[in-house]
Amino acid sequence: MGTSTGTEQGRRSVWQLGFVIPCLLAVMGLVDLGLRFMSIDPLTFRAWEALLRNRPPGAAFEPNRQYENARSYGDLAALGNLPALRQYRAERFTTDALGFRNPPRVLNEEVSAILAGDSFVVGSGVSDDETLSSRLGALMGCVVYNAGSDAGRVIPDEILSVARRLTLRRRLVIRLYTDGAAVPVPPTHGEILAARLAARMPEAVRVAAGRLRGFLTVSPLQSLSGRAWKAVDNGSMLPNKYAASVVKATLVNGDPMLFQATQVDNFHRRRELSLGYWRWLRDDLKKSHFDLFVVLVPGKYEIYRPFLVNRQPLHPGTGDYLDRLERALRAMDIPVLNLTPFLSAQAARFLERGEYLYWLDDNHWNVRGTALAAAAIREHWPLAETVCTTTHSPAAQTP
Amino acid sequence: MLFNSLAFLYAFLPITYLVFWRLTGKMPRYVWLAISGYVFYSFWNYKFCALMLFSTTVSYLAGRGLLRWQEPGRRRLCVIVPVVMDLALLGFFKYGNFAVANLNEILPWLGSRATLPILNLVLPIGISFYTFHTITYIIDSYRGVITPTRNFVKFAAYVSLFSQLVAGPIVRFRQIEQDFERIDRADRTSDLHTGWSFFVIGMLEKVLIADTIAAVIDPALARYAELSTVSAWLCVLGFAYQVYFDFAGYSDMAVGLGYMFGFRLPQNFDSPYKATNIADLWRRWHISLSSFFRDYVYFPLGGSRGSRLLTARNLMITMVLVGLWHGANWLYVVFGAYQGLLLIVHRLIRARWERLPQWAQRSATFGLWLLGLAIFRASGFRMAGALLETMFTWHAGAAMVGASALVVTLALAALLAHWAPNTFEIRHRWSPSWVASFAVLFGICLFVLYGARPAPYIYFQF
Repeated sequence: MGTSTGTEQGRRSVWQLGFVIPCLLAVMGLVDLGLRFMSIDPLTFRAWEALLRNRPPGAAFEPNRQYENARSYGDLAALGNLPALRQYRAERFTTDALGFRNPPRVLNEEVSAILAGDSFVVGSGVSDDETLSSRLGALMGCVVYNAGSDAGRVIPDEILSVARRLTLRRRLVIRLYTDGAAVPVPPTHGEILAARLAARMPEAVRVAAGRLRGFLTVSPLQSLSGRAWKAVDNGSMLPNKYAASVVKATLVNGDPMLFQATQVDNFHRRRELSLGYWRWLRDDLKKSHFDLFVVLVPGKYEIYRPFLVNRQPLHPGTGDYLDRLERALRAMDIPVLNLTPFLSAQAARFLERGEYLYWLDDNHWNVRGTALAAAAIREHWPLAETVCTTTHSPAAQTP
Repeated sequence: MLFNSLAFLYAFLPITYLVFWRLTGKMPRYVWLAISGYVFYSFWNYKFCALMLFSTTVSYLAGRGLLRWQEPGRRRLCVIVPVVMDLALLGFFKYGNFAVANLNEILPWLGSRATLPILNLVLPIGISFYTFHTITYIIDSYRGVITPTRNFVKFAAYVSLFSQLVAGPIVRFRQIEQDFERIDRADRTSDLHTGWSFFVIGMLEKVLIADTIAAVIDPALARYAELSTVSAWLCVLGFAYQVYFDFAGYSDMAVGLGYMFGFRLPQNFDSPYKATNIADLWRRWHISLSSFFRDYVYFPLGGSRGSRLLTARNLMITMVLVGLWHGANWLYVVFGAYQGLLLIVHRLIRARWERLPQWAQRSATFGLWLLGLAIFRASGFRMAGALLETMFTWHAGAAMVGASALVVTLALAALLAHWAPNTFEIRHRWSPSWVASFAVLFGICLFVLYGARPAPYIYFQF
């Protein structure tokens, strides 16, 4: 009888919120912890998020990984939670031992140029053999190393750290700068110090640090919950709170095209040039006997704004950031190629056929855009001769 | 740090709780509570901790002065100096730019070409609440309602008590003085379940009801010019329940946290939507604020002891100040004046009002409250005017996105707000099936919190 009462009391004390809720919190915490040991690949829609997770310091992505997704889609469709506007495509994304998007064999070959910059260099939305570095390499018959990363801002110390591990035929850095990326400023002493520290870390420590950072900062449970939220905030059950992050516009041929809202805003306001970064980049690279060649890439909005129905008017002093930057870089004797006129003309030509240079659902250029950009660089600037064969400094020409 | 954030649930709360109950003795617990309060506050902006410490120190010294001196002159000084200092800080940070903007409007009328610069001010979160904590302490000490404490750490722990720090309730020292005194003898288990019960209910009110309503009405109100009459009414109705469950949810969580640490915080909402007249509603809505203004403004002005005209004046002054407390904006002044007007009219027609059937009294009170909330929610006079105009003249328009979800949530919210007992009326002794239901709902809240950034509480901005 006494035992029965005791059991009854025990049962009662277990079924109390003061016990159940802390237990629930603990279980949820453990589930979160447990899921962090598992791969997040099934929860990602493209390689970017999957391979950033365990990125070691100084690397762009998790080294020696291959990610494949047959139904990848654009960042803007994901950002704006617009599943109806997704353009599904296959993506294969391979990283080398240094944590950059290159086939592993690149580390055993002679490299003619290092291509540095943001996701346009990495090749977001295209497969391994369709990236700008692959296209340039194929066109010119030499190896161009893809050193693109999510940071976008290139720090010479990071380039040098990569360069030390490569067999260089030619000390040339091709710096791709995309309109819409943040106006670059020289890094702080702390950032330079961190880059140097990362470069000096033993490989095992770097990898362990990357995994630890990934473990602490990336929660698969958070991704799962985020997905569930997006399914509910779909614009019919509940308002789509993500939709404001993108601008859905219509092209003159009736096709819908997405743009990132911040990039549209940036394009329509006057941005001041910050040349300190470029001067510093050139001088710092020069100290290590690297030549710098800058390629300016227009944002998707700049290319397609003329073809939009109900386009926003352009106010004086806006929308010309890349042109002003190009002029300023030339004045500083930095070799530069502005892809805007060429890509604009090509975009108009292909639009008549209902074909595009940028993904409709993504910020980035597609396979065609990348190939055209590579051809433009090849055509308008004699890269093959200077990079793959001679040791002269490159000289930029007007396209 | 928000109560409905993972950082709070998984780091701050467990650490604070475990260390607090591990410590024995009053002083270590006071110290720990004070430290945890400042850590909690520093998550918003650590620089403002200095401001809170300053306000705490000044009020503490005033209390010591009141203990020491009996001469009326000195005692008055011990009240006036710290209260003026507290109000000056509040006024500077909260109303500084409001005053400058209004002066800039007035100066040209006076023939001046000068323009005062708008200051780059950030409103320290919770300043309206902890300033009022310290003011009640000083005035109650002066009036002899409480004996000021000699223990600075204890006082610092009271002002910075994290559960009531940033959005109230405005707990007076006398209301939790006994709990502070008994802090070394507090029993961890006695109120633990009640505490969690309050906390869970508060979380459900906030995450499942208030935030769901907000998800639908906020985008709709952002495009208020396109609203149809039905949508405008749904939005205002939605806001009425959103603001109630948002703040009542926060208050319930605060009360629950208080229980977990051995403090019994007072009730802040007593089913205000069951009120039968506007005075009744204000006795039930944000009780700690309305009672503050009643005790420290309305009564000192003379309350209802004078003529009808004087009473009306006192009501109007008090309610305009209540409105202004919510923010430096003329809309809040209008909201306060509207409430004052309702209170005055109610006093005049009370006898006739009470002859109405109770359902009619309740409905009319709620309806009048809704009109006030249309002003309260607006971002400017243009929006307030447009919203009221849309509500009272027929406008056709497209259906709101999420209208079905809104209607279902509003039905549940109405049921809970108008008919269900409030958290202070229930016993918090739940059967296993209720516990399981709460656990499932709390689990859903947690899952929601994982994926979406926690939505801040409406009253944090005040």
